[in-house]
Amino acid sequence: MSGSAERLDTEKLYAARLFAVRARPYLASALFALHVVASPRTPTMAVDRYWRCYVSPDFVARTPMEELAGVWVHEVSHLLRDHHGRGDRYVARHELTGPGVRLMLNIAADCEINDDVYGDGLRFPAGAVHPATLRLPPNELMEDYLPRFRLGPFTDGYAWLDCGSGADGGERPWDLGPDGAHGLTEHERDAVRFRVAQAINGRPGDAPRGWRRWAEEAFHPPQPWRELLGAAVRAASASAGAGDDYTYRKPARRGAALPRVVLPALRRNPPRVCVVIDTSGSVSDEELGIALLEVAAIGRAVGGRRELLGVVSCDAAAGVAVPICRGEGIPLIGGGGTDLRAGFASALRTRPDVIVALTDGWTPWPGSPPPCRTVVGLFRRRVREDLDHTVPCPPEWARVVKIG
Amino acid sequence: MTLDIAAELLGLLADTTTEERPNAQLEALTLAVAADLPVLLWGEPGIGKTAALHQLAESLDLPLTTVIASVHEPTDFSGLPVIGADPAVHGVPMAPPDWAVRLAEAGRGLLFLDELSTAPPAVQAALLRLVLERRVGALTLPPGVRIVAAANPRGSAADGWELSAPLANRFVHLRWTYEHDVVVRGLGGTWPRTTLPRLDPGRLTEAVAHGRRAVCELLTARPKLVHQLPKSETQRGGAWPSPRTWDMAVRMIAFATAAGTSREVLSMLVRGVVGDGPGLELLALLDRMELPDPEELLADPGAAALPERGDLRQVVLEGVVEAVRRNADRARWEAAWMILVRALDGGAPDLVVVPAGNLAELRRDDWPLPAGLERLAGAMHVARRAA
Repeated sequence: MSGSAERLDTEKLYAARLFAVRARPYLASALFALHVVASPRTPTMAVDRYWRCYVSPDFVARTPMEELAGVWVHEVSHLLRDHHGRGDRYVARHELTGPGVRLMLNIAADCEINDDVYGDGLRFPAGAVHPATLRLPPNELMEDYLPRFRLGPFTDGYAWLDCGSGADGGERPWDLGPDGAHGLTEHERDAVRFRVAQAINGRPGDAPRGWRRWAEEAFHPPQPWRELLGAAVRAASASAGAGDDYTYRKPARRGAALPRVVLPALRRNPPRVCVVIDTSGSVSDEELGIALLEVAAIGRAVGGRRELLGVVSCDAAAGVAVPICRGEGIPLIGGGGTDLRAGFASALRTRPDVIVALTDGWTPWPGSPPPCRTVVGLFRRRVREDLDHTVPCPPEWARVVKIG
Repeated sequence: MTLDIAAELLGLLADTTTEERPNAQLEALTLAVAADLPVLLWGEPGIGKTAALHQLAESLDLPLTTVIASVHEPTDFSGLPVIGADPAVHGVPMAPPDWAVRLAEAGRGLLFLDELSTAPPAVQAALLRLVLERRVGALTLPPGVRIVAAANPRGSAADGWELSAPLANRFVHLRWTYEHDVVVRGLGGTWPRTTLPRLDPGRLTEAVAHGRRAVCELLTARPKLVHQLPKSETQRGGAWPSPRTWDMAVRMIAFATAAGTSREVLSMLVRGVVGDGPGLELLALLDRMELPDPEELLADPGAAALPERGDLRQVVLEGVVEAVRRNADRARWEAAWMILVRALDGGAPDLVVVPAGNLAELRRDDWPLPAGLERLAGAMHVARRAA
């Protein structure tokens, strides 16, 4: 700390950090890992991607201590949630350019943070962005907010907003850069994030839902479920004697050239797939629509032979297995409670290599593994926290992909 | 247009320079290959995996043999059954292909199995025997041959292959990515050149002890981490902890220590063998092992050197208070106060507050207030303002 450090009220700043640590104990290691740099050119408080925190002495002087504590938590949230990395990836994926882009990233990132870090001891700072001010719903991610607003009348008030390169990836004139002192390396940043995630997972009752979700996904970001479901179905249908593979049952074409050598031949053996769709009242029309599209996609993935793909619609009693005739023209009968055991029994009569069950999981499962591979596409249910419901777990022998 | 002029143009295009630039993933690959563990590179096609293998082969002075798995038949790896004059007497030998014979004759080399994930399952089954048992038909590859495989990530693989849990457990998984500015600069004519790690013969014993101690300390405290089959769909086909991979982790720490590589590289390797969660716990333990020992600090508080980083400094101070709590006497208690006072020099006062409060609670009635305590007044003032 040099230059204007005399003017920076470090005592107030550190008191605010201590206040923040007391209000959010699980963030302690991240808050203490930040290195403070006095920086008169920074409008308020800003972070860079190397976990330095640039602080304007004027801002500290004019902001109440309790509000300053909220700003500490806000800034460290940008770093923990990797907003700069995610912002960079978003910009690269969508090939965004122009001066307003980083401001938009900053606003979207602030929306992600501000709807769940305040309250419970931390005061919402005056003038901070909230999704509601942009007329957007809360509890979503930066990437969800970005395509849904433009810089305009609603955002004019935030042109001064600047949480630094740690929030949006854009370099700032005051940044010390990768070689400056007291920066954290990538491994050190991971280690700090890991300690915070452990602190949250260790005592999940203390942290709000947004942080718990972050802790669960900090090192295992959710993969797109379509790819997972596709990979699971392909993996299940490629093994156990189905799919393209070599076999000694048929002579190879190049065998004629090598008379003394026994060669296997490539043989196509497309798998039979049967899809069991849960059409009970607890599965919504929208979800059934998605499920149908996936059935069609799986049909194409396994080779597109229509007679090899069957569908059973199932509630309390299973409908008849029908081969798919048109992409989405699958008759769905049902609408009561669910018993997938009937669906499995009726699917097995088609002697499939793979059964794919699409369900919300509110069903009894067969007691023993079926004689073929099973993939379960499980619709995610938003379980209300005040109700003590536990969704019955799909059995161990099935591969489970969470959908949505 | 004559081919001479074309050759001249091609010559100009090939005329590129290199510049020194550290590359953590290449360093990690080098160490894993040196440690003689099978490596699996996960990466999209066309991002420079083969180029990296060329550089690695050159620096290790090994001839490179590339085998594109997806264009071969299973017999090319498991051996071609050749029927001799009297199979009942001589058996049916499984003849190895020519590249394997040449590799075995050379006695050393780098075998690169590309496009593992787009080969049919029978080819993959034959290949995995090659990777794990180093056998091609009747031929066993000599120990001087090192094997690296490459596969496309699950989401982008066109067909149905994925690594089963027992097979995934035998590889060092490295994610291969490219850096945007490196590619752009390289296409402009300047490619990066990396100084690859070298093992220091003087540090070998120490390196082995370090690796063993770290892994044993972690598994003593966290027995659950010894064996954890991957459960969720996202973790399938990747690294997971088992006694085999912990042994690989010991090896990787020893190699990284002997080579003096950075934490970034070690982080890739450790997470690549035991998975992200257990890997990060091991790395956190390695970080803690480098922090000063509370007992040593208490023995000589005047010379205490505390880490610069706030969060680490707080861990040390809490460790000191904890050490006093376990074995409290007046001298140790006063030494702890001296360490807290020292922590104020060049550090933020707020992180002293909690340890100071905890230490104050340990005071017995007959112990007088320690000297230098007035210097903590600033920190206490901070605490009062935050209350």
